[in-house]
This record gives sequence, C-alpha cells and structure tokens, in this order.
Amino acid sequence: MPSEFFKKTLDPVIALAAIAVLDIFLFLMIGAFTVGGGETMMTGLIAEAAMGDDLQRLPFWNLVFEPDPTYWKIYISLGMLFGAFVSAVLSKEFYIRMPRRLSEWVLITIGGLLMGIGIRLAFVCNVSTFFGMTPEMNMGGYLAISGILAGAWVGSLIYKKILEG
Amino acid sequence: MSAIGQCLIAFVFGSVVGILVQRSRFCNTAALRDAILFKTYRNTKALLVAMIILTFGFTLFLTFGEGNPMRFDVGLNTFAGLFIFGVGMVLAGACTVSTWVKTGEGNVGALWALLFTFVGMFLFSLAWSANYWPPAPASMTGEPNLEALQLGYSNAATLQEKFGIPAIVFGLVQVGVLVLIYRAILRKEAAQAERHRQSQAARAVATAAE
Repeated sequence: MPSEFFKKTLDPVIALAAIAVLDIFLFLMIGAFTVGGGETMMTGLIAEAAMGDDLQRLPFWNLVFEPDPTYWKIYISLGMLFGAFVSAVLSKEFYIRMPRRLSEWVLITIGGLLMGIGIRLAFVCNVSTFFGMTPEMNMGGYLAISGILAGAWVGSLIYKKILEG
Repeated sequence: MSAIGQCLIAFVFGSVVGILVQRSRFCNTAALRDAILFKTYRNTKALLVAMIILTFGFTLFLTFGEGNPMRFDVGLNTFAGLFIFGVGMVLAGACTVSTWVKTGEGNVGALWALLFTFVGMFLFSLAWSANYWPPAPASMTGEPNLEALQLGYSNAATLQEKFGIPAIVFGLVQVGVLVLIYRAILRKEAAQAERHRQSQAARAVATAAE
C-alpha cells in the first residue's frame, strides 16, 4: 500500500482535507499552520551568523524578531523540505531542475523579493491567511485575502503579457 | 509545552504536509492564478475544502476558549503586504509552501525564490528599522489606531465576547459562504464540460460530413 501511495498522484482535495485536520490539532497544541514567521526567523539567524553583533544595530531584530533557533515555526518549513524530499525520492521524482531562460531567473528573483517584502509588511503570509487567520475569522484574514486576490490578478496580467511576448 | 517539544511537533506536522503536498501537486499560487488566468479550479477547490474544515474546527474550539489564535493588530499593511505578495507569488510561480516542497524535489528555481524571499525580508527589516511601521506586536493595543493605519484585533472569539453569540455560529455562516463558492465552481466546471462535449460532438458531425 505505501508503495502505491508514492506511485499515483493524490487528489488535492484529500491532501488538503488531511492537512486541515492536522492543522486543527496544531492550532490546539501550539498555533495554526504558518510559514512566513519561520522564514523571517531563519533570515534573522542567517543575518546574525553573517553580521554578528552588527545585527543589533537594526531595531527590527530586537523589537519584532529576536533571532531564536528554538522558534517552532522554523521547523514547519524544515519539515516540509524534509517530507517533500523523502516523498520525491520514494516516488522517483527527485531530480535537479534548473530554470532554462534568463527571463525565468529574473521573474523568480523579483517574485521572491516581493514575497519576502510582502510577508513582512503584512506580518502574515499566504499560509496564515488561508490556514490560520481567515478560519479564525480574524479581520486581518479578509484584508489579506482581498490583498492577495488583487495581487494575484495584477501578477496574472503581468504574467500573461510576458507569455504573449 | 517545552520549546523543543513545540519544535518537534512542528517538524512532524511540516513533514506530513511536505509529503501530502508533494504527492498531490497542490499549489496555493495555482489555486489563485489558474482560476484567474485559465478558469481551472483543481487547486482552488482543495483550498476551499481546507478552509471549510478549518473554519468549522477553529470556531468550534474558540467557542470553548480552546486553541491558540494569532494575536496581533491588522490594518492597511495587511492588505498592502498580501497585495505585494500576490504579485510576487505569480511572478515566481510559487508560494511559501511550494518553494519549500519544490526545493525538496530538487527544483533550483524554487530554492532561488526562497533565497530571495529571505533577501526581501532582510531588506524590509532595514526599512522597518528606519520608520517603525507597521507597529511591532509589543506596541499593539488591539484597538483601532487610525493614525498608524491600524484597525485593531478581532476574530470569532472576540465576536463571541462582544455579542454573546457562540463563535461557532459565526463560523457556520462563513462555512455557508465557502460552500456556496465551492458549489458555484462545480456549476462552472459542469458548464465547461458541457460546452466541451458539445464542441466535440459538433466536430464529430463535421468530420463525418466531409
């Protein structure tokens, strides 16, 4: 049976229903599924390793995110990386893929930067929006969904223009 | 619970999510982009199902004062930040989950997006250290602060406190709205399938006539 699991594509509705049930347990034990906070802490830890005490000159890293390797949200991301790696190896889907064209590298670079800036400006990421705030009926969830829909629409227009050449 | 215990639970949770997302090819970016650009809803439906289950579960437990909801003020920055994020995720072709999952599959582009997400976060920390906006969680009050473009803090639990109506009632209203959106998508897909069937039939008739 487990080998069958790694041969066929899983219905995303089943996958997401399972994730939702697990997220309810996580919400009861620690807090809802989130990624952006852990990524910010990783950024802080990397910056601290690179800059040492100089990082203290930036108040953000004292007042908002003080670098702490025992921050639980980091380990959700590391877990996803580990789980996806194991799953890809077991399904024989692990192989090194590189963007081929320069334009792809440029888009990924700009997209990555915008995601990082956006998460920090909002204090939430897309995961917190859909898997945390909105199901908690937090007012921020509705603001965030409006923002991400508008952004995805503008992004899609840009993407379409680029596709059409 | 100890910090190490929390980290272990988070790692196990993340690992299972990584496996499920890798096997299902679920992508949050595709859930929004494909619905907007291509009118396909494979990922959108999955996202809606998750939100229906979560809304019911979270508001049920919030009714009894259980759970650990996010506690911080929201405001214009919440909308603006996710707007910027939305543009970025479509351009990068990945969101926070898929960058980790695709990196685990050996996708160098996803790793690159992840690295630049970190760079973006660091750049924002420079800007924040100069203007201190939006307010740090420590200085948030939970009340609207229009000067700082903040609307305060409210969720199903605060609604229960304010109106004396159980949080689950608000949750069920939201579940109802999400189910309506899900059904509208199913109707749209049925119409698409019908149009496809008709065009196939018309093509078959035309081929037979030739």
